[in-house]
Amino acid sequence: MRGDHSPFKPRPRRSWRAPGELLNFALIFLCIVLLVLSRIGHAALTEARDSVVDMTAPLLEATSTPVMMARHAASQVGSYVGTFSEIDRLKVENEKLKQWEWRAKLAERNVAQLRALLNAVDEPALHFTTGNVIADARGPFLQSALINLGRDNGVRVGYAVINGDGLVGRTVEAGASVTRILLLNDLSSRVPVLVGHAGVRAIASGDNSAALRLDFLPEGALLHPGDEVFTSGSDGVLPRGLRVGVVTGSPGAYRIEPHADLSALDVVSVLFFDAPALTRTDPPTASLNRALSASSDDSKPPAPVPTGSVEQPEMTGAIKQAGTPGTPASESVAQTQR
Amino acid sequence: MSAYLPALSVFAAALATAIPWGLPAGATFILPMLLMAMVFCWRTLPDTAFPVYLALLLGLLTDILSGGPLGFWALMALIAANAGERAPSPGDSQDRNRLWLVWAGVAVSIGVLSWLLGSLYFLRWIDAWPIALGVGVSILLFPVVLRGVVRIKRGRFRHKLYRGLT
Repeated sequence: MRGDHSPFKPRPRRSWRAPGELLNFALIFLCIVLLVLSRIGHAALTEARDSVVDMTAPLLEATSTPVMMARHAASQVGSYVGTFSEIDRLKVENEKLKQWEWRAKLAERNVAQLRALLNAVDEPALHFTTGNVIADARGPFLQSALINLGRDNGVRVGYAVINGDGLVGRTVEAGASVTRILLLNDLSSRVPVLVGHAGVRAIASGDNSAALRLDFLPEGALLHPGDEVFTSGSDGVLPRGLRVGVVTGSPGAYRIEPHADLSALDVVSVLFFDAPALTRTDPPTASLNRALSASSDDSKPPAPVPTGSVEQPEMTGAIKQAGTPGTPASESVAQTQR
Repeated sequence: MSAYLPALSVFAAALATAIPWGLPAGATFILPMLLMAMVFCWRTLPDTAFPVYLALLLGLLTDILSGGPLGFWALMALIAANAGERAPSPGDSQDRNRLWLVWAGVAVSIGVLSWLLGSLYFLRWIDAWPIALGVGVSILLFPVVLRGVVRIKRGRFRHKLYRGLT
């Protein structure tokens, strides 16, 4: 059939190709069936997908490592270029932060006194484990990433994922050693949030673009560009108070600029936040205690990645970490305490 | 020519689509479209075995790695493979330009179908700009992809020559 394709000459008569055409038709039909099954979320498909992702994980990790190293090198070169301006900026920021530190200590003391007066119950401790992004599984219809943590590490579906800048997304599929994170800007991502000092309730929705939409704002809500947005925890899935981003745009078209750079994720932490909604929908297959106690119980086999735990502050608000100090989780959880 | 070389090259490209390159959110359609261009190119080359079921399998792998709807890229790979089979072979430069034009038509068709299928899948109109960007870049980079595929094939021929000499 390849050869002269001029429209002015008769095409050669085709040989009988019924088996090939039949195969084509069967394969297209198979694709459509898979699409339908995928749409309805068939459990067998999800399991099969998890298995394949688990199998390809070592390959993905091996291929993504040099790319990540190159990205680190490029960012380091960039930081060297702008070192002097960065030092000046940091000096100014440091001065501001010193003032904020004093205010924070004062506020912390007041909060502690008020909590003592109210006899308030402490919130449960938040544990986390940290891993690397091994695949940038973002497509036109899905904004997700694969990380090298799985059910063997105690990760389950629905857990919040953060990095040093703030909330990144939540886990949606968990294989034995690999987990898929649905990023905040995915089309199907909805996160209940509180906005600004007034704590205006809204929903942060993804639309596959870099910024998030701010939906279901109450009428007459007074927002300002630069207002902080953090999770409200009212969905019963994500913990309350995780940093999400800042408000941008104008009235009627408010957007959220996420703190985390969702297109260049590297190291992320999964928060083991067991809400009642989660325990009903995703029963654990791996012993959660095993992963959580990896940092505290030496008799158990250690988790393959550094595992830490962040506990509720007592009077000083200090964050206790049993695993890797200065992991990306620390900043975001520190915001939680505030 | 056996199918392993085309399959292996497309498999490597499918893995490359999942590597965290740090591309912006609007550029997510580019790499899969280049993968489709690769499938198309392999099917246009004469004396090359790249069966449609392999295209389907590698499309499925892309679906799995991207986490998107299962069967979506498999369907697009099937379309690209069938279009490649019916396209003229890249013999001289005139043929290559004609092939480029054919790919432009196929890429636009894949883009429109992706948009419609994606909108139907999610029951809402999805953003068309990332798709348009991916289609545009794949059309622009088609000669590069074609050259790469031809080079891979020639590498195989060198192996044959080497074996003949030894």
